[in-house]
Amino acid sequence: MITNPVSRVFMRECKRLIRYPRYLVILTIGAVFSFVFFATMTDEGQPQRLPVGVVDLDGSYLSRRICHELDATPGVQVKEVFTNHMEARRAMQRGEIFAFYEIPKGTYNEVLQFHAPKFVLYNNACYLLAGTLCYKQLATMGMLAAGGVQREILRKKGYGEKAIMGLIQPVAFETRNISNPWINYGVYLMTTLIPAIIAFIALMHTGFSIVRERQRRTVKHWMKKAHGSAVYALLGKMLPYTLWYSLLALTANVVMFGFMDFPMNGSWLLMVANTILLIFASQCAACMIAGCINDPSLAMSVCTLYSAMSFSLSGFSFPIDAMPGFFQSFSWLYPIRHYFLNYTSIAINGNNLHQCWPYFCSLLAFGLLLLLGAIVLKWQVHKNTAEVERIKN
Amino acid sequence: MNKIRIILYDIREVLYAEFGRVFKDSTVMLIFFIAPLLYPVIFCFMYEKENVTNLPVAVVDQALCDESRRFIHKMEATPEISVEYKCPTMAEAERLMKNRDVHAIFFFPKDFSSDLAAKRTAHVAVFADMSSFYYYKAALLGSNAVLIDEMHTIQLERYAADGLTGLPAQEQMQPVVYQEITAFNPTNGYGSFLLPALIILVVHQTLFLGICLLCGDARENKRSLLVIPARLRTRCTHRVTIGRALCYLIIYTPICLSTLWFIPRMFHMPQLGNLYSILLFLLPFILAVIFFGITVGNIFVRYKVSPLLCFAFFSLILFFSTGMVWPQCNMPRFWYGFSLIFPSTPGVQGFIKISSMGASLADVRAEYIALWVQAGLYFVTASFSLRFIKRYKIFNAI
Repeated sequence: MITNPVSRVFMRECKRLIRYPRYLVILTIGAVFSFVFFATMTDEGQPQRLPVGVVDLDGSYLSRRICHELDATPGVQVKEVFTNHMEARRAMQRGEIFAFYEIPKGTYNEVLQFHAPKFVLYNNACYLLAGTLCYKQLATMGMLAAGGVQREILRKKGYGEKAIMGLIQPVAFETRNISNPWINYGVYLMTTLIPAIIAFIALMHTGFSIVRERQRRTVKHWMKKAHGSAVYALLGKMLPYTLWYSLLALTANVVMFGFMDFPMNGSWLLMVANTILLIFASQCAACMIAGCINDPSLAMSVCTLYSAMSFSLSGFSFPIDAMPGFFQSFSWLYPIRHYFLNYTSIAINGNNLHQCWPYFCSLLAFGLLLLLGAIVLKWQVHKNTAEVERIKN
Repeated sequence: MNKIRIILYDIREVLYAEFGRVFKDSTVMLIFFIAPLLYPVIFCFMYEKENVTNLPVAVVDQALCDESRRFIHKMEATPEISVEYKCPTMAEAERLMKNRDVHAIFFFPKDFSSDLAAKRTAHVAVFADMSSFYYYKAALLGSNAVLIDEMHTIQLERYAADGLTGLPAQEQMQPVVYQEITAFNPTNGYGSFLLPALIILVVHQTLFLGICLLCGDARENKRSLLVIPARLRTRCTHRVTIGRALCYLIIYTPICLSTLWFIPRMFHMPQLGNLYSILLFLLPFILAVIFFGITVGNIFVRYKVSPLLCFAFFSLILFFSTGMVWPQCNMPRFWYGFSLIFPSTPGVQGFIKISSMGASLADVRAEYIALWVQAGLYFVTASFSLRFIKRYKIFNAI
């Protein structure tokens, strides 16, 4: 006979999950599906062979060579050579190309006469990733072409190779991208998005399990199992989900950092703790919402509306420091924000517990939400019992 | 004539019944009215700044020469970068980076000045924080502008030393002139890129989830056939579908107008499309979402709260399926096909093209046709799914 109230509620919830495994199965499939989706989608690392165009008004040997050289650049491919500006613009509006070069009439002649012809590079910034990458490739290509022309002229003037390089490029950057040298987009995306999705699911499922007690009018039975303590009741209830979703999130992390070779410079142990705490903190938020709001579907909607912002407020895509002050403070209410900061601290910067303890503390502080939810729940149960007794009398 | 009147009468009856259900349910009201109006405003405020400015960086200047100092001053003058720390050693700068006090380090090695004096290529090492794409972008954007400017200054000095000055030096330095035009999103901002797609997705998800909630509510309370007029119990399910769709369409037209036309205007987001084409484009989009929602709701949803539990997290996958982030031409073919199941994919693509890029309806022909096809297809499935439920009463659903 188990006497510990948390274990009793835990066993009760596990039995329920085994008897009605439908949602657990669906949500687990959902989490695995999301992982496979993002992993296969960003398989290339960076989008390759993006379609670009050239408006060739010159039609010369030089302009055709530029087209060929563009096509040979790994990131882009010349989808079409246009004969006028409007056609290229329409193609860009239709989303067929992400950028185009316009080579004006008489370019070749001007180069031969040592006059500087003007090339115009248009890029579509509505598709941020594709537009930026095309711009980068095309701009680099342009610089190289200009450098090539310069080198030819300097060679003919009798300069040596070293002197030529010093003249063409007197200063250069050596860029070292810490922990993601290949600028893999999947690394950005998946390391935060996948735990965020699993935390989202854990939050919703925990909220749902509490809401179901109310719907089935089994709150009394639930409380009885927990010896009347709302904290034990909530803890026992969330524990099976904590274990299951932590397991899912940890497996995802092992696959990402272990098998897919995403950068991991810090301690695995801290990362494991970080992941488990993320799930726990999200569940605490669910306990608070579902504990405080009596109406089942309203509680679930509030859970959804709250979680829907978690992806933006984690700060992995657009940095939180660039948002207005209100959102900077508001983001602290999201466990995923602390997880993200902690992940960058551990996995990217290789910090140890000495530096990242504040993040762990803030994740643990979400336990206060659980207490708040428990107080309201207890109060509601108390009120209901009093009401029932009043009616009886 | 009489038959048409009966059909219209049936549709009206369903429409009134559905309106009653929507306005009686506080959860549906929250999802239909508050969420689609609140989220766009929140997101507009959130991404108001569009770009990262004054990114804190550290500089390790071991060259200590005129050129390096000039370089640092110029970096300080860019809007993107703010030189917060000048560290004597690399270890010091690394510590700052680890504590997230700075997001990039610029290292001028000792041989920087000697390389410049010897007319060789001098190198500056840049260590970028890769935890967010935007830190990296801001650091690179700001420093590249300085690099190009500084290169030109030094080039002119070197040509001058070789006796080449004025226009010839200028032409020698820049044999080809480049002009860059960033189209449709002139600030290259995150908000202008993300918000239109996000707002369409908010409309899609709130409408879809709201409809599923209503289906679940009816099913949970064993009222699945309540909205069907008594005479129609065995046939004509399309009248019910049309009646319900009309109700949602009437509710969502003003919502779409305010979220997709007025709110972006209020926040000065780039908007090139005209209202007429936007409205014409949104009609099949809303219809497709409605019929898609009714289909899924009829077939899969048994409880009121389950759609929120099982479908809400899917929003993110929908967003990435639209091809706004990862371009459609680079998606694996399987995922591209998968993305076409949802009205959000042609909806977002088409809306961005019309609204942000000023395309006409003819330019978004493919998306427009796709939406009408989806609307037609899901209308048929929505009508049949209702017949299906009627026959089997309860399908093994969530």
